[in-house]
Amino acid sequence: MTWLTLETRTLLASRLIILLLCIPPGFVRADAYLVEDTRKPSALNVSIVVFDPGVPEDLSLHRDLQVFPQIREIEAMFLPFVLRETLVKTNEWGAVRVIPKPDVAAELLVSGTILKSDGETLELTMQVVDASGRVWLDKAFAGTVTDSYATGGNGSDSPGYQQLYDEIAESLLQARAQFEDKALANIVEIALLRHAQQLAPSAFGDYLHSAEDGTFTIRRLPARNDPMLERIERIRGAEYVITDAVDAKFQELHAEIASIYDLWREYRRKVIEYQTEDARRVQSTQSSEPRGSYEALVNLYDNYKLDRITAQEQNSLAVAFGNEVGPTIAAMETRVAELEGWVDTQYAEWYRLLEELFEVESTLEQ
Amino acid sequence: MFFTVALLLLFSACSQQPIITDEMIRFEGRMPANFSGSWERNYARDDDVNAVLNDAYNRLIRTLPDQRRPAIAGTEQSASKQMNSLVALARLAELITRPDVLTISQTRHEISIARKDDFDMLCAFYDGVAKAIENNNGTEICGWDGSQLVSNLVLQGGLQVTHRFTISADGQHMRVVTTVSSTTSRLPFTLRRFYSKFERPTSGFNCIETFSMKRVCSTAEIAR
Repeated sequence: MTWLTLETRTLLASRLIILLLCIPPGFVRADAYLVEDTRKPSALNVSIVVFDPGVPEDLSLHRDLQVFPQIREIEAMFLPFVLRETLVKTNEWGAVRVIPKPDVAAELLVSGTILKSDGETLELTMQVVDASGRVWLDKAFAGTVTDSYATGGNGSDSPGYQQLYDEIAESLLQARAQFEDKALANIVEIALLRHAQQLAPSAFGDYLHSAEDGTFTIRRLPARNDPMLERIERIRGAEYVITDAVDAKFQELHAEIASIYDLWREYRRKVIEYQTEDARRVQSTQSSEPRGSYEALVNLYDNYKLDRITAQEQNSLAVAFGNEVGPTIAAMETRVAELEGWVDTQYAEWYRLLEELFEVESTLEQ
Repeated sequence: MFFTVALLLLFSACSQQPIITDEMIRFEGRMPANFSGSWERNYARDDDVNAVLNDAYNRLIRTLPDQRRPAIAGTEQSASKQMNSLVALARLAELITRPDVLTISQTRHEISIARKDDFDMLCAFYDGVAKAIENNNGTEICGWDGSQLVSNLVLQGGLQVTHRFTISADGQHMRVVTTVSSTTSRLPFTLRRFYSKFERPTSGFNCIETFSMKRVCSTAEIAR
């Protein structure tokens, strides 16, 4: 029995190692943002999940609110990357990644919802939660296009709403300042343990205490040389490589559509300027033609017609924008789905192997 | 939205007869008729603007005070004003109904009627209820009168434009009755236009609109 168990153990461990070595080379980027363990406790890893596009479910509201669902979907993938770049530039954080779906074991998870994006104004609600479930930030941010952008200094290097992203970054730093280094180090440990709990619940199920309010505290810590924890750390490392590959895809998307998106945003800004100006014109100018005359009637009709044609043009251009960036988005989504699919498959396999290993090791210890 | 619809109904009710009633803005299941396709004007059947104007003129005369009686101060000017207003409505109706081709696309929620040199008329229905299209200068709403589609545009200054679309049983012919009315005119002006369905020839190119490069075409075979 013991001989068989040892053999099984060796077999399982070797399969796990093989799995970890089997990460396709294409998934690894040269400039991956992996942080060494030597990082400062304050340099938490930040995961920014793709934003909620904030498209109202009631289709009939889209026209009134000037929401273009396809463009909002693109913005939901595009805007987190600008925030990522802003956070990276502060040099205050560990690895900052854009991820397609929430990761409960992220050290710091940033999520956002687009409330308004019309080329002139961007409104977001941002929520930041750490691995222990503590809410760092739950706040709405609004920004208008910066003057330098509006006067032609645009381009992907100067995002139109930089002030808004800077404000979010500043709020994050202020939130972090409330914690001492020990508390921040604690978040890193909880993140690892939550990850371990997901992968090997039998081994790590009782290390954390989960309160009713959704927060987690450490009940006890595993030994530093715990072989299961070492395996978890290796798997986490492998997962980070994939996450960085996904993040790189968001980076590529940003690079490819930034200039077209800037054009669209500039167009939307001009439309809003025009609408404001036109409303003022209509209010302040009275037709000099006699009331009821052909000219006066045509004037009334034409005012409406002009507004409608502007709205129509906007709809057509929204479709055209979708047509243009559609293939890029589709290619990115396919690649991200491949990467995620690979992780999901491996995850299931890791989960099974770790659970089996734990069982074998527990039996041996007894 | 209901406030807007109520206002429209009220406006219609106060001015003349209600054009879009509360029953007309709702329907159950699928839209009562399908107008989608390309439609070209059948000039042979169209109303003659001058003939319709003559009829309207005669009707207007009948509504005005008896011309054989001695003119009451101001009445003469009013009659001439009414005539001018009617002619203005006729000219506007003729202008609005000038497009010789209508391209109608109909989805589960919307009917869009594209016209050359004019905005696309839009009938939006969500969950079987009409949704008004509004801007600073007017409000557009549609409704169903049986299988007839009625579009009503209420503009500032008391001007209203109503189109009533009727499709033939075989789906090949369409009649559009356009009525233009104004608070400045005692009578509205109505014109009928007739259309026949036609198939647009395919260009052999597969084209899409893009944002930065405008229309992009390829010779790839068009999926049928």
